[in-house]
Amino acid sequence: MSKEAKKPFRQSMAEWRQFVYNPNSGEFLGRTAKSWGLILLFYLVFYGFLAALFTFTMWVMLQTLSSDIPKYRDRISSPGLMISPKPDTALEFYFNKSDAQSYAEYVSTLRKFLESYDDSKQSQNINCTPGRIFDQNDVAVKKACRFNLSELGQCSGKEDKTFGYSKGTPCVLVKMNRIIGLKPEGEPRIHCTSKEEGMVEINYFPPEGLIDLMYFPYYGKSLHAHYLQPLVAVQLAINSNSTKEEIAIECKILGSPNLKNEDDRDKFLGRIAFKVQMTE
Amino acid sequence: MVKKKSDVYSVEIYGTKDLEKTDIGDEGEKYKDLKGNKRKKKSEDLKKELELDDHKLSTSELEEKYGTSINKGLSSARATEILARDGPNSLTPPKATPEIVKFLKQMVGGFSILLWIGAVFSWISFGIQLAQGAESPFDNLYLGVVLALVVILTGIFAYYQEAKSTNIMASFSKMIPQQALVIRDAEKKELPAGQLVVGDIVEIKGGDRIPADIRLIFAQGCKVDNSSLTGESEPQSRSCDFTHENPLETKNIAFYSTTCVEGTATGIVINTGDRTIIGRIASLASGVGNEKTPIAIEIEHFVYLVAGVAISIGVLFFIISVSMRYKILDSIIFLIGIIVANVPEGLLATVTVSLSLTAKRMAKKNCLVKNLEAVETLGSTSIICSDKTGTLTQNRMTVAHLWFDNQIYSADTSEDQTTQPFDQSSPSWTALSKIVTLCNRAEFRPGQENLPIMKRVVVGDASETALLKFAEVILGDVMNIRARNKKVAEIPFNSTNKFQLSIHETDDPDDKRFLLVMKGAPERILERCSTIMINGKEEPLDSEKAEAFQTAYMELGGMGERVLGFCHLYLPENEFPDTYPFDTDSMNFPTSNLCFVGLLSMIDPPRSTVPDAVSKCRSAGIKVIMVTGDHPITAKAIAKSVGIISATSETVEDIAKRLNIPVEQVNRREATAAVVNGMELKDMSLQQLDEILCNHSEIVFARTSPQQKLIIVEGCQRQGAVVAVTGDGVNDSPALKKADIGIAMGIAGSDAAKNAADMVLLDDNFASIVTGVEEGRLIFDNLKKTIAYTLTKNIAELCPFLIYIIASIPMPIGTITILFIDLGTDIIPSVALAYEKAESDIMNRRPRNKRKDRLVNEQLAVYSYLQIGIMQSVGAFVTYFTVYAEQGFLPSTLLGVRVNWENNAINDFEDSYGQEWTKYQRMYLQWTGYTAFFVSITIQQVADLIIRKTRRNSIFQQGLFRNKVIWVGIFSQIGIALILTYGLGHVTALNFTPLRFQYWFVAVPFAILIWVYDEVRKLLIRRYPGSKLVGQEHVLLKQSLSLVVFLLLESFFPT
Repeated sequence: MSKEAKKPFRQSMAEWRQFVYNPNSGEFLGRTAKSWGLILLFYLVFYGFLAALFTFTMWVMLQTLSSDIPKYRDRISSPGLMISPKPDTALEFYFNKSDAQSYAEYVSTLRKFLESYDDSKQSQNINCTPGRIFDQNDVAVKKACRFNLSELGQCSGKEDKTFGYSKGTPCVLVKMNRIIGLKPEGEPRIHCTSKEEGMVEINYFPPEGLIDLMYFPYYGKSLHAHYLQPLVAVQLAINSNSTKEEIAIECKILGSPNLKNEDDRDKFLGRIAFKVQMTE
Repeated sequence: MVKKKSDVYSVEIYGTKDLEKTDIGDEGEKYKDLKGNKRKKKSEDLKKELELDDHKLSTSELEEKYGTSINKGLSSARATEILARDGPNSLTPPKATPEIVKFLKQMVGGFSILLWIGAVFSWISFGIQLAQGAESPFDNLYLGVVLALVVILTGIFAYYQEAKSTNIMASFSKMIPQQALVIRDAEKKELPAGQLVVGDIVEIKGGDRIPADIRLIFAQGCKVDNSSLTGESEPQSRSCDFTHENPLETKNIAFYSTTCVEGTATGIVINTGDRTIIGRIASLASGVGNEKTPIAIEIEHFVYLVAGVAISIGVLFFIISVSMRYKILDSIIFLIGIIVANVPEGLLATVTVSLSLTAKRMAKKNCLVKNLEAVETLGSTSIICSDKTGTLTQNRMTVAHLWFDNQIYSADTSEDQTTQPFDQSSPSWTALSKIVTLCNRAEFRPGQENLPIMKRVVVGDASETALLKFAEVILGDVMNIRARNKKVAEIPFNSTNKFQLSIHETDDPDDKRFLLVMKGAPERILERCSTIMINGKEEPLDSEKAEAFQTAYMELGGMGERVLGFCHLYLPENEFPDTYPFDTDSMNFPTSNLCFVGLLSMIDPPRSTVPDAVSKCRSAGIKVIMVTGDHPITAKAIAKSVGIISATSETVEDIAKRLNIPVEQVNRREATAAVVNGMELKDMSLQQLDEILCNHSEIVFARTSPQQKLIIVEGCQRQGAVVAVTGDGVNDSPALKKADIGIAMGIAGSDAAKNAADMVLLDDNFASIVTGVEEGRLIFDNLKKTIAYTLTKNIAELCPFLIYIIASIPMPIGTITILFIDLGTDIIPSVALAYEKAESDIMNRRPRNKRKDRLVNEQLAVYSYLQIGIMQSVGAFVTYFTVYAEQGFLPSTLLGVRVNWENNAINDFEDSYGQEWTKYQRMYLQWTGYTAFFVSITIQQVADLIIRKTRRNSIFQQGLFRNKVIWVGIFSQIGIALILTYGLGHVTALNFTPLRFQYWFVAVPFAILIWVYDEVRKLLIRRYPGSKLVGQEHVLLKQSLSLVVFLLLESFFPT
């Protein structure tokens, strides 16, 4: 009974029109222009105030931060591993050793990546004492250690402009993520294994895949502007009868007790897995 | 008496016609055709089947018709056969919705449908991702499952709550199976009444409920109380004579569910179960549609509002994200997030809990609520149509006034009287009390000595009971007095004599005279008197004294009281010696020239709590309308004494009498009160009824049939009122059902009434309704608070998504995390708001206007969404950015990083300091962000909870500690957050991580800001009342500016 009878369509349309603009009272959407103006003003002031407050709080918060090192580094206690070149989609390399086009992108990526390691760019860098942590805590201007491209041997791109891709011995550079203040213990080295026995022979540059301690610790972008992270080149000499097959390679960082490589959830913490498939 | 009965009955029958009339009158406008037709058909059925002729048949014809024998009854075998054919003799309970349908309704009602959409989208995107071979498609599968679980669990919860409240009712209505004395196989047997079949011969006696519709074949002094059928409480005699064509009026039929008050009778069962008259009325009631409760309408409105916001924002951002070149799949996932953020998943469960808490509280106060939503309906009630008998009154005749020695004395009529205060020193009183005691056939049932007198059960009619109790209170052991004054002869009351007479020996051993005592209709008694007792002395009854009698009689009668006259005569010893053989048939003793002693008047007095309750209703803006089957004078008297008609207001008739002009000349607008007779009502058009309901604030409907009650209820509803109706009879059930809230009487009420009602008053007391109203209003206020509280954080949950989409920052809060707020931390606090005490006297304001005072209105939504919600978002974002910045991602770095950030293949993502992060390290940081965002919302929700405690008052006025449950809420909120963060922080699926302790405090200043802001708003509301500040921001702006100026001036120039 108390339920309202359904209004005819025309009437409800008229009511709508009346609501949208009421010519009698000059109301637009139920309010006069003045009222809308004041509401707009209120929200302008209100949100202006909130924005100012937000900005101010953020500013205060940023003031408490140092521009050199982040306040906390507990979320990245151990570095991840990454490779270059990095295929677009997943970490899977597909190329035809006789088709330069198929690996051109890998080569150019490597070339680009190694540009900053060029000797000309390393003029400011110093030669550090190998095998020792290069502590510069007391020095205001942190020096970067020189990383000679020659250490990458056949994978330096100097002798073989195609980084071995044309010969069926593709190079992959393995690098360890930069983490401020990280000092690896022991003798960290990169070691890669292939699940499939005998399909591939793995060579490391520098030999044994060693990562020299002199490149650590890292002092952060602003203090350590010219820092270059050490690289390990992994050359995969693919067995000629294993072409056309997908070879799974896993590289891990070994020899350092404080660099994790077995995390269940983080598949890139101290390790990296990728696949290579070469055709002829 | 007889005349009156037939009136009522004819109304009874035409009452159904009246129903139809309203149908026709409203057709096309108010009623869907289908419904009207159905109802019409039903009432036609009712009328048609009424044409039964069993009352006209002779005994032998009946025997033949039903294949039975009066002496032997049916054979057991035949009875079993008929039972199998007709089914048991019980009313089919109203068709219950199948449990599974109820359950499914919970599954798709409200927000569930939105969440199902979310779940389905999740699964679709899972399917697409799976097909595309993405790396972690299972997140979406889980999300879908979680959403489905949320819907199912809240559905189960709501279903359980509903089932629980239904069960209370079911257990309540279960009655002890009634037994009936039946003759079968020529033997008397006790059988459960349900087993009766047509043709059974049953015996009934005083106190029994009639087990089926019965054609009487033998009756002795049988009287039945048809009140459950007609609402008329006066017992009617029954005999085996065919007295009227109409089966409803003939004396030889007794109806199912009525009670035999006294006497014995034997009869043939002519109708059983649903085919009985009562059964048909009950089925008529089920034809009256159930209206949606106001709170259901409000919640629906709220659901539409929120769903509208959710869908429009969702679709808007879907379009935005598509046009920003997000992948369709991603856009769908955003859409799910927006829906989940917008929908207050826990709210409907919270509302249910709050309502059932209130229902429990009301049950303690004797209001048993059958339908949870009815809890609030009572709060929005604007008209109460109340029964008189039993609800407003005590439902027992009580001596109210006495007249002797030319003077009117008032007696105490309260429920628990133990003495009577009036002057009892006069010898006239001694004489009167003797007559009252002796000329009375009523007796207490034995074995009640320990009960208070007023509570004892008495065998006898209402007036005699009243007199017996009255005497017992004043004189003590009445039975003993009667024993000492042995009764030697008696003529019981009958309608031709209109008096009752008995002759007793006296208890004075020296006085050998007999005492003749008589009571009856005052004018008849006076006729038989020649003297009158004044101060113990017999004085001749001259015209002056007769005049005094007349005045007193008129005065008492005018108060709506039933007046009885008392007289006595000491029979001279010489004429009537010890051995005198009194013969009541030949009346060989004097019955005239008696000595008039006094008058006693009785009324069913109002309950002592009612006047207060009525005045409370009045100050609460609720119109109380009395609808009764009683005589207008009695009705008006009771209405006046309880305040339904206030002392100063007059009816049209009163004005006419005062001004000494004819009724027609009175300006009807001047009369605030009206007493409408059922007969007048019958001839009224709907417009006239509307006019009465509109123009008079104090209305009494007298001599109404219960069907007219339905018309009155509909009339009130036409005025846009939320109508509460009280009732107890079976035939009240259509009105109870029609009402927005039907209130059945728990003690006097019939099962059908209880079935049709939404609420049952366990103590039959009108005052309980008022407490119910108070609770209902409180819960409405508190639900508003709960909803405001819940809606606020939706913005803080929604903003992250919007900013995520627009600014491409790492996701600030996860969908699962949102569910943990909505269904975890926020639940107990929002329930706690249901315990909030009333802010001001809620019984001093008008009932809410159901069109204007919505549960969720523009102001509430705007204030929650656009003001407090935004503040909360700002606070939470500050925490979010702080967490990222302190871990190495400065805010500037975060903008626009979404694609790379979420790329699984990028494991050397560089932060602002040159460090490189793997995907999982980023994810973990993102979860820390979720946790921080979650914690911030929780902390600010504490402030939100505190500000929502009151809507006008400062928190200092309301007190932080009055509602202790709020503290339970706050502690549970923080406790749950702590458990989630630190206890479950290592369960990756939940996306919580342990959080640095200081991040808990980042949002605290914002929480304080929220509180201060709201305090200022409330201060302005209190300072500038009536300007409807909330929502009218420009006023708020103007006034807060003036306040700032004021405070500045104050601090510079202290006064």
